[in-house]
Order: sequence, then C-alpha cells, then structure tokens
Amino acid sequence: MKKKLRNFIFQELVFVAEPEQFSDDDNLLEAGLDSMGIMRLIMFIENEYGVTLPDTEIEPDNVQSFNALEQWILRHQNG
Amino acid sequence: MSLLSAFNRQCQNAPDNIAFIEGDRQLGYRQVLQRADQLSACLMANPCRRVVIALDRGIDAAIAILAVLGAGACYIPLDIKNPANRLNYIINDANAQYMIGKGQRPGWLETPALWLDIEQLTDAPQIASRPVEASAEALAAILYTSGSTGTPKGVALSHRAMCNFADWAADTFRISQNDRIASLAPFHFDLSVFDLFSSLGCGAAVHFIPAGLTLSPSRLTAWLSEQQISVFYTVPSLLSFIALKGSLAATPLPDLKTVLFAGEVFPTPQLKTLCELLPDVNFYNLYGPTETNVCCYWPVERKRLQTGQTIPIGYPACGAVLQIDAETGDLAVQSTSNLSGYWQQGQLINALSADHYYQTGDRVSLNERGEYCYHGRLDRMLKCSGYRVEPAEIEAVLLQCPEVISCAVIGITDATCGQRPAAAVVLKPGDRLEAVIKPVKQKLPVYMQPCKFIELETLPYLSNGKTDYQELHRQLENN
Repeated sequence: MKKKLRNFIFQELVFVAEPEQFSDDDNLLEAGLDSMGIMRLIMFIENEYGVTLPDTEIEPDNVQSFNALEQWILRHQNG
Repeated sequence: MSLLSAFNRQCQNAPDNIAFIEGDRQLGYRQVLQRADQLSACLMANPCRRVVIALDRGIDAAIAILAVLGAGACYIPLDIKNPANRLNYIINDANAQYMIGKGQRPGWLETPALWLDIEQLTDAPQIASRPVEASAEALAAILYTSGSTGTPKGVALSHRAMCNFADWAADTFRISQNDRIASLAPFHFDLSVFDLFSSLGCGAAVHFIPAGLTLSPSRLTAWLSEQQISVFYTVPSLLSFIALKGSLAATPLPDLKTVLFAGEVFPTPQLKTLCELLPDVNFYNLYGPTETNVCCYWPVERKRLQTGQTIPIGYPACGAVLQIDAETGDLAVQSTSNLSGYWQQGQLINALSADHYYQTGDRVSLNERGEYCYHGRLDRMLKCSGYRVEPAEIEAVLLQCPEVISCAVIGITDATCGQRPAAAVVLKPGDRLEAVIKPVKQKLPVYMQPCKFIELETLPYLSNGKTDYQELHRQLENN
C-alpha cells in the first residue's frame, strides 16, 4: 500500500529530490503537501482502496506521513 | 480620500465594536486605533515612505498596516514563508525605510531598512502626534506578485484605487457593522483588501481563520459555524474542498449569507455541490488581476450551473470600463481601481496606456446575455491555488543551477485543483535531476514549486525555433 501511495504522492503532489531518502515517518506536510494535495490524495485513496474516509477525520495527524496514512486507511478497510 | 477615512469614522462612531478576533484575542475599534497610532508615532520619528510588513496574517500584521497608513506611508506585505533570497529581492526592490516584524532582526536580512519589533512597541509610551491624511494619489500598498521577467513584480496601488474597490464591495455586498467576516487571505494577496478595508470601513468584525484549518475542511466548517461568520471571501480551490469534504450536510451555517470567490476558475460541478449544500447563501464570482482589483463580477445564478459549462465573470464592477480587442480577445480595463504603476528598483514605472487602460492579457468574450466570459491567458501565466505564477520566474531559478542547459515550465491542469507548474529540464551530460530539484525547492515559495520534473535530451521546438509547448504538455502530462 505504501508503495502505491508513494508513487502517487511523489509523482502527482509533492516533488522531493530523493524519494528513496524520504522515510515513512518523514513529514509530508513540511515537504509541501497542501490542502489541494490532500483533497486529491483522499480522492485517490477512496477510489483505489474502496474506502470512505470520514470528513471529520481529515486532519493533519492522519495525513502527515506514509505510516499515518496507511494506519488511517487500514482502520477503515477493516471496519 | 484616505484608505483610513472610513475606519477612522467607525472608531469615532462605534469605538466599542469588535474589530479583530484571532483565537482568544479580541480587540475593539478604539483599542486597534490606539495601538496603530502608537506604532505610527514610532514610524514618524524618521522620514518614512515605505514600510515592509514581515508578519504572518493576523491582528499584529493588520495593526502594523493601519499604522503604516496612519504615518502617511505605503505598506509592503511579505509572505514570510518565502525563501530568503526572494524576500531580500523584494525588500531591496521596495527600497523601504522600515520593516515591522516580531522578535529580533533576522540574520538573513540584507537591507539597510530599520527593524521594528512589534512586541516591544506595545509597551512604549504613546507619543503625541497627529496621523497624516494621505492624498488620494499617494501609494497605499505595493503587492508583489510573480513577474514575467523572472523576478517578483510590485503592483503599486494608490489610496484612491484601494478605496474605490473597498467602497464598491462594501456597498455591493451590503456590509454592515453586524457582519462577521472570515479572513484567510494573506495580506500580500489582493483578496485581503476586502477583508481589511471593506470590513473596517463598515464597522464589521474581522475573524482571522486559524492557520492549519485549511488542512481540515470539517474543522473549518465547524469554525465558520461557531464564529457565526456571515461573509467569506476566498479562492475556489478551498471552497471545493469544503464542498466535497467539509461535512456541510451535518453543519448548517445559518449565519453565512455571502460567499465571494476569486483568483481562479471555480469548476462548475463543485460550485453546484456547494450551492446545493448552502441553499440560502448568495455566491459571487469576482474577477480581476491584482493590477485592476475586481473589474467584473457575477452573482451566481443557481439554475444556470450546468456541468460542462464554465460560469461567466459577469458584469463590469467598481465603475470599470472594459474593452475587448477584436482580434485577440485581450481584455483592457479602465478603472479608478487601476494600479499607479509597477514598482521597480525604488521607482514607479507606468503600466497603463495613454488613455489609462490596463491590458490584462486575459482572453474574454461577451455572451448573448451581455456577460463577460473568461477563456484563459494569452500568455503563459498560471494560476495555482489562486496565486499567480509566471513560468519565467521558475525558469530563471532553474537556469541559475550550473547543471541546467535549458528548461521550460508549463501548467498541468487538474480537474479538481486547477493548474500546477511542471518543469522539463535539459541537463549537462553526467548531471542528475536530484542536484537541481533541491536548490530550486529552497529558492521558490511552495505554490511556485513544480509538482513534476522530467529530464529531456532537448526541448521540443517548432519549425520557427520557438518552444513547442503543446508537445511539452503531452510529454509532461503523460510522463
């Protein structure tokens, strides 16, 4: 899952010089993920994984890193 | 006719009205005036024509702006999140005498301008002095935007120009002292002229939206509800986010009566959704470059919103006279709100034709109802999250990298978010793209950073030797 998220984010939303150096805990918001990026990311996730992410959970905490994103998605896939 | 006249009247008539709310901090009109006068007095200790505001959006920055105007000077708001090289360029181009910031003078500053710490001044004793009444033609603000020559460009606005817009908006949208106005636009962005001056001129309260809420649309909606916001002027991309993910169905906004948007084209499907979720709100599409401020507006007619059709920009606003070039469709604007000129290296450079028209470079037409419709740019300028971005400014930064032989920047269009810059780069043999991206990201503000880079052996050219932008679009959008 993280590989797909990485591909989408680094190809479409945030451009970092060396993606392989960007860890799963590094801060995506500091790297340039903004409100428009978050909106596109959520649409991508909902399409790709067939989940509905509740509006009220769209928070910096849930989107700030690849690990946070994965946990957020998994909570809704299983629930 | 000073930009402060209407505000000063409100301070006399309704001094106890709330002027600003930011988090737990709340100031009435009288308190705001007192603090601004205090700061004006400090500024007037030395001859002072132009003052850079190096503060984040909020009460302190708003007071600093009022103080600068009260001292008869012109304010230059910075986006302090910009990289230091860009900030130093702007500060030196503005040739300011003072900078107002918070805390100690930052080490990266390369300017002879004096630094004033706004936190130190609040305790300073008040010096008796009368604020200066500025002449209508005096400059009130210089707003720096992206420039097509590769460096930021200062749009110089007079008191007359800014008053013309502030008064038009206050009348047209019937702003009153009962209004609570949500403010999100940074002060270097022309939407803030409404937030500050249309509001304060009417005795309304300005509520600063906490930073970070734009990343969490349902919290933003909840905030709009709690604060009983009645008027909100922002960019379509943020309104789209609220429409799609803002929990509006569960959070009715009974106090909200007017939503204004500008800065980019609002995709019709999202606007339709928003209109359905907020059935009692009046929406207005405002149009105009920073150079003219709003020169066209369209009260949104819900029944005319059809997916696949772009909404019109509507009718002339602010008393503007509009002309369309019969061949190119270029829109020219003659308006009291027009800029005084571009500010360059400490001088004002004329930007208008002999009969005072400003050529926008926007391609427009008139429809059968007599409404103006926008069809895009005649040049390469992009609109990214409402910000204006000149590809030439990004290219100039790329070309500063020793690894880069040539480059071209275009806008990739996204159905939900509008345009984003993307770059194609030709490198010297043996050099890697990674070496270029890092410095480029340090030198450009976030909204100007390309979201995509590709490396090419050569740029595509047309037979006449010009860059083939269509082919570039194909390569960057498919890559």
